[in-house]
Amino acid sequence: MTIKIIEVLITGLLMGGLYALVAVGLSLQYGVARILNISHGEFIMLGGLTTWALYTALGVNPLLSLAICGPVAFILGFVIHRTLFKRLLASSASPAIFESNSMLAAFGLMFILQNIALLIWGPEIRGYSYLVIPVHFLGTLFGANRLLTFGLALVIGLGFYLFLSLTRTGKAIRAAAQDPPTAGLMGVNINNVLALCFGLGAAMAGIAGVLISMCYPVHGVMGLEYTIIAIIVVVLGGLGSIPGSFIGGFILGLIGSVVTFFEPGLALVAYYVIFILLLLVRPTGILGR
Amino acid sequence: MATKGWTRREFLRGVAVAGAGLALSACAPKVTPKPAKDKIVVGMSRPLSGPQAIVGDSAFRPVYETFVKEVNDAGGVYVEEYGKKLPIELIVYDDKTDVGTMTRLTEKLIVEDKVDFLWPACGTSFIFAQAPIANKYGYVLITAEGGATTIKDMLPSLPYVFVTLSFSDWYQLPVLAELLSKKGAKTAYIAYIADLHGIEYSGVAGIEFPKVGIEILGVKSIPPDMKDLSPIIRDAKAANPDVFCCFAYPDQIMPATALSIELDFNPKAWVGGPGVNFGFYYTAFGPATEGVIGFTSYSPKQSDAARALAEKLYAGKPIDVQDYWGHPLYWAGLEIWKQAIEKAGTLDQKKIRDIIATERFQTVLGDTWFENGLLSKDCHTGEIGQWINGVYEVVGPEKWATAEFVYPKPPWPKG
Repeated sequence: MTIKIIEVLITGLLMGGLYALVAVGLSLQYGVARILNISHGEFIMLGGLTTWALYTALGVNPLLSLAICGPVAFILGFVIHRTLFKRLLASSASPAIFESNSMLAAFGLMFILQNIALLIWGPEIRGYSYLVIPVHFLGTLFGANRLLTFGLALVIGLGFYLFLSLTRTGKAIRAAAQDPPTAGLMGVNINNVLALCFGLGAAMAGIAGVLISMCYPVHGVMGLEYTIIAIIVVVLGGLGSIPGSFIGGFILGLIGSVVTFFEPGLALVAYYVIFILLLLVRPTGILGR
Repeated sequence: MATKGWTRREFLRGVAVAGAGLALSACAPKVTPKPAKDKIVVGMSRPLSGPQAIVGDSAFRPVYETFVKEVNDAGGVYVEEYGKKLPIELIVYDDKTDVGTMTRLTEKLIVEDKVDFLWPACGTSFIFAQAPIANKYGYVLITAEGGATTIKDMLPSLPYVFVTLSFSDWYQLPVLAELLSKKGAKTAYIAYIADLHGIEYSGVAGIEFPKVGIEILGVKSIPPDMKDLSPIIRDAKAANPDVFCCFAYPDQIMPATALSIELDFNPKAWVGGPGVNFGFYYTAFGPATEGVIGFTSYSPKQSDAARALAEKLYAGKPIDVQDYWGHPLYWAGLEIWKQAIEKAGTLDQKKIRDIIATERFQTVLGDTWFENGLLSKDCHTGEIGQWINGVYEVVGPEKWATAEFVYPKPPWPKG
């Protein structure tokens, strides 16, 4: 019985680590840059498919792909914000109008990225075997790849948290999350910070994609599922709160695992029930203000 | 200035004249000649994207693409009423693996595009939804991917619908149950995708397995959006069954296989489909596929015709594109379609339908015919397949077997 409980909890944490990483990325984009980036999942997909392509065609170790996909996704995100969303921000009369305009633009971006991926890789489901080795852990078995992705998600998440709380740029991001106009008045180059946030969000998604591809099959239209989970987690954790998203990811992973243990069909239902309850009881999210 | 409108009398007179004119023109014999026709337009709604894209792309698509090219290279399909061969032109729309979109696209093909023929959508729930539409408009529909356990009872009321693929009780699972029980399997665990395909297969297995003394230890449904299947594989492992069945799609079969390796879950028989029957399954898992069981309908080893078809579809291509379950049946379906048009000598759906329903055809399967809307099971040349030494062999029923059924399967290779 205890073994069962441990299994369920650890399975939840393993999934939660990935959710957390995905959500931290969206949190930067939605919480700080105010862009409900519907195409967030497409960056995950691009990370995953690139890793698959590098691994199967050239034998590039997925861990090395982390160092490739992260920066490339960052540059892509940064440039997209600088060209597309900065213009939208300047032409939108109010923050509310910007939110709706940017969401529509993100929808367009989603279709463009998705179709580029379909053109390059086709619609097939792609998977590869990396560290598919059983590992004995706390009296039960887990795949080595899953434990590795969990460890990496944790390290990247914590590293990012330290970056936010200890560096000057991190402080600027936090200031922009709280009150963009005032942060701008205090000398924060707000356009730069917003582009940085969008780029970092894309990098997180790219990295999450690499990790996801180590455990799950990837394909061109997988993005939206992850975007939806990320949106739930971001709201759960509190808009604009990076630690909130991180914790929210683990909570969602655990809930999913526990519910799945009893009835797999109800996992997604449980996510939405949590979502509704949260909006009723604590609309600002766990760590939101 | 009197701007007098029409009086009632004048108006009625006008209406009477116009009405008489209309009636006369309607009675006039139609003198329009049969419009010259230079092609046969075939419409399809297919999952070019979405979770079923991998099935669509690997199963029916290579078959119809090869078939259309072959027929058109030879000039087309001979239609007597036009006195010439008409090449096939395809209109293919992407339904994004969404049943609702597929039904709308199907109606659009028929009503707006006015295609000459409809070729099938992809998936059990898709053909379940498409069949009544095709039948309503009187379009012959020879289905491809998709089982028909549920729809087969409705087929008498759907005279235009013909099912080619073999499926659960037609008659894969009875053969599987017999193979397993002969080797002494006593227990089974079933995981199935929570849609019509999974429900049909798990339901039929629930009937066929106990019949031969295989006890079912557990049944779990897999929601299509489920990411991490490990709770299900762990549950199955804890039940310690002789046989593990995963009646789902490649999206689930692939991770379920990887997790079984990861979690060291080694049942004596591992059954999965659709997914195991595709070449890409072997590409993904290599030697680990040894002994894994799936569904099939032929092996190129069985006949010259089968070998020729395999040559036509697979030569010079990566192993990924192979599918030994659907390909020969879909090919036979298209051959029947062409032969029926040529026999009818017209594109009239009703006449073609009557020929398909009543006559026999020579196809890659040999003598081939439909029985109450289903491709007769006497035309099947295999039901159960198994990966043995890197080749997907037919292992059941025994009269069609190309290799001895391996039971228990060897454990997953380590590392």
